[in-house]
Amino acid sequence: MPILQHFCETLYHSGFGTMLRESNNAFSVIESVHVLSITLLIGTIAVLDFRMLGLILRSIAVSSVARSVMPLTWSGFAVSVMSGFLLFWAEAEKMYVNPSFRAKLVLLALAGINALVFHRTIYRRAQEWERQHVSPWRARATAFASLMLWSGVIIAGRAIAYF
Amino acid sequence: MKARFAIASAFWISTVTIPAYAHHSFAAEFDINKPVRLTGKVTRVEWTNPHTYFYIDVVDASGKVTNWGIEGPSPGALSRRAWGKNDLKVGDTVVVEGYRAKNGSNTANGRRVTLPDGRSLYGGSPGDGGPGDDGTDQGNLPATGTNK
Amino acid sequence: MGLHGSFMALAHSPLGHAMQTSRWAFAVVEMVHLLGLAVLGGSVLIVDLRLLGVILKGESAITISRELSRLLIGSLLVMVLSGIALLSEEAGKCYYSPAFRWKMALLAAAVIFYFTLHRQAILCTRRGTLKLWPRIAALVSLLLWLGVGVAGRAIGLL
Repeated sequence: MPILQHFCETLYHSGFGTMLRESNNAFSVIESVHVLSITLLIGTIAVLDFRMLGLILRSIAVSSVARSVMPLTWSGFAVSVMSGFLLFWAEAEKMYVNPSFRAKLVLLALAGINALVFHRTIYRRAQEWERQHVSPWRARATAFASLMLWSGVIIAGRAIAYF
Repeated sequence: MKARFAIASAFWISTVTIPAYAHHSFAAEFDINKPVRLTGKVTRVEWTNPHTYFYIDVVDASGKVTNWGIEGPSPGALSRRAWGKNDLKVGDTVVVEGYRAKNGSNTANGRRVTLPDGRSLYGGSPGDGGPGDDGTDQGNLPATGTNK
Repeated sequence: MGLHGSFMALAHSPLGHAMQTSRWAFAVVEMVHLLGLAVLGGSVLIVDLRLLGVILKGESAITISRELSRLLIGSLLVMVLSGIALLSEEAGKCYYSPAFRWKMALLAAAVIFYFTLHRQAILCTRRGTLKLWPRIAALVSLLLWLGVGVAGRAIGLL
């Protein structure tokens, strides 16, 4: 058996995983936190994306928006990952074979790569373009990709239940 | 009446109490023209979030065994209806009265649930639009009357 | 037509019928509802955190609120429309659901608050120094919207 599958089965059958999976309220609460955290994680980064697309907050420099948004996004990410990991732990064996869960992780990774590339390249020279109402095409491409990828994460996450 | 005393330990596909999975109203998922009354031995019970499941082996007149799946709401929702994890055991003979899934699979909604100890539970939720729905969480199924 | 009658009318409408019989409509509409939630939540967070003086302190709260108003109202509209479609699929269940009633009450409160006292509190910030009232308004707003979200989750879980 592949080591990853073995890991998932170990988590699934563990005492903690079983407790979560059979819980009266814990699973529901954690799942609710996870769903509502999309506001903090994805909603905030969407504001930055819309700024770079020139749709909102055009009078404010991109880096100002980013500096305000990023800590919120990171907080949302922390909450999402922690709650998500617990949900995964409870269902690990089933998630291993769930195509929507796998797609969600791939999209999540792509969203992260998109952000990383942006911060290391175009954003480095932000002071050159950040005051423009509409950001340069590379920044806009990043923003568009970000919106698409995070939307995909939400959709794939919801679709887990249907497989 | 036999139905009244049917030992029906069943989780039900109370579709409208299903938070996430294949969510439809009763009308969308189950066929009101395909009532089923299944008698079978419980082969597996999954007392899990987000949905509980149990499976029964149903033996038809010719002796053929078919395994049916019954899906239920979360453990929390069940426990709020005074249903506990140990109320259904593998090997219990149960009767599920309900309606078959529209897609023709060996899946059914259980509108009436009676535990081996005689306790019975209505398998729907208020307002879900299925048979017996009278807006209460006791329901009023014509065949078996109200449960308590 | 009473309240129950209205719910039943929605359930029996063409929208209701389509939502109830389709195998995928509910899932798709629910996904749209979630996307709307993300954007609505993000907009509310940015505006109210600015009012609390936590972010974008160097920028005018009035500007930020105005700039985000279209996004906020737009995403709210998406949620209301998708919400009506979801409601048409399970109108009876929602009618009897205490969680749904709470959600609607909190939603009404949040929306009314947004267009009245919240707006007034934002205008208060014109004078420069951060007064108490904008901060209270921001907290009330955040709590109301959070309540809507939590109640919404509860509909499916109770």
